[in-house]
Amino acid sequence: MAARSIWNGTVAFGLVNVPVKLYTATESMTVSFSGVHARDGARVEHRRICSKEDKEVPYDKVVKGYEVSEGKFVVLEKDEVKAAAGDRGKVIALDEFVDAAAIDPVFHDRTYYAGAGDAPEAYRLLHEALRRSGRAGMGRFTFHDREYLVALRAYDDVLALHTLRFHDEVVDVGDLDVPTPDQKPARKELDMAAKLVESLHQDFDPSAYEDTYRAAVLDLIKRKAKGEEIDLAEQEEPEHGDDLAAALQASLGS
Amino acid sequence: MAPALWSGSLSFGLVNVPVQLFSAVRDLDYHFRQLHEKDKAPIEQRRYCSEEAVEVAWEEIAHGYDLDGKQVIVNDDELASVQPRKTRTIDIEAFVHLAEVDPIYFDHPYFLVPAGDSKGTLRAYALLVEALARSERAALGRFVMRTKEYLALVRSRDGALALTTMRFADEVRPTKPVPSGGKKKPTKKQVDGAVAVIEELSTDWDPERYADCYRARLRRVIDAKRKRKKIAVPEPSREPSPAADLMEALERTLDEVRSR
Repeated sequence: MAARSIWNGTVAFGLVNVPVKLYTATESMTVSFSGVHARDGARVEHRRICSKEDKEVPYDKVVKGYEVSEGKFVVLEKDEVKAAAGDRGKVIALDEFVDAAAIDPVFHDRTYYAGAGDAPEAYRLLHEALRRSGRAGMGRFTFHDREYLVALRAYDDVLALHTLRFHDEVVDVGDLDVPTPDQKPARKELDMAAKLVESLHQDFDPSAYEDTYRAAVLDLIKRKAKGEEIDLAEQEEPEHGDDLAAALQASLGS
Repeated sequence: MAPALWSGSLSFGLVNVPVQLFSAVRDLDYHFRQLHEKDKAPIEQRRYCSEEAVEVAWEEIAHGYDLDGKQVIVNDDELASVQPRKTRTIDIEAFVHLAEVDPIYFDHPYFLVPAGDSKGTLRAYALLVEALARSERAALGRFVMRTKEYLALVRSRDGALALTTMRFADEVRPTKPVPSGGKKKPTKKQVDGAVAVIEELSTDWDPERYADCYRARLRRVIDAKRKRKKIAVPEPSREPSPAADLMEALERTLDEVRSR
């Protein structure tokens, strides 16, 4: 990674100001294709066309419209969108702290690394205090004219900044109508399931999992480049057994 | 309820549980359309061939990939042929301690709901919910949705199975190139003071404490604009500078939070 920050600002930990530089922490490695015209292999361009005039519109003649009723738009200028961003100052004030492990995974959105800026001593102190307490500092962060809820915590030797989803964006399990069985799982079934969980237990090692699909797509591209004919194979469905105890027993191989 | 995003079966040893996948998040954002400034007519995105200057229909579009400067074209059928077999299953490969999985790996959250209400399905589903909850473990598996294979973490949440798609290890950047402020360790007194500030300001995690103010303000801006009111854009606040004396700033902070 060429360490190029995407945002510079200050984390305010009470009166202790900690300048930070943000870096993206994740990047998608999914093989991405560009759209091409199948007939001649030429790149497909996206053009902005006015639906009324049927003519191309340059980007600086495009405005944002919010549809209030069918075909009726409220137009917002770029500056007006900024008014919604809240305080666009380059400060992330840590107003309160929570147990970092208590934040349910469902709330996690994106992760950034917050690296040390001009006050390395204050940065090391905040890192150590967050690491030792196991807590995450909660704050707000404005990025590209949009305010995010963030949790800042110690990760490795640096700080990780997670943007979080808001509670009303998270679906409650009650909204899904999950049907419950007439009877609870039997003791024997639970014991066998526990054994199965134990027998397949591993320490979490993310590097043990490779994106085999990505590798297969890249391989396909290479074969195609050599002019190979691609075999379009069919897929099969798994069997679905109904005897739970017997299936568990067989899984345990006893 | 929204339609299921995927359906298939969760395969746990030789136990197969038919399940459907639903997103665990909903989109509450205000979405804007691009309009032509002059006539306020919506802008349409149209696809044109860069060589022939003719519009290109969806079915005439193929996938191009730049392989070392040479363009390779593949179509949907060819892409489908390399999807792993058994694409209708989530195969559980291992169980891990949920606490060991760093949130940096989490991508998108979903729920897995039993498909149909056959007795066998509901019992197998309930058994897995219970087994994961009791052991505080999560199951790691893989499945294919649309054209991509995902690594997924399945855990018990509120009596249901929650699934989170995971980033692969090489999609998480190393922290090494990130500036970490050097090797100089803070003093014990400083760390004790900082931890004390954190403890004073600590609260239980309660997501309802945090509202999306951006969404609320955007709604107000839209409403004001609709009534043809003038929108004031506030000046951003100034960025504070680091304290000259770290210990002194820490002590003043501690005094302040304790006097609240």
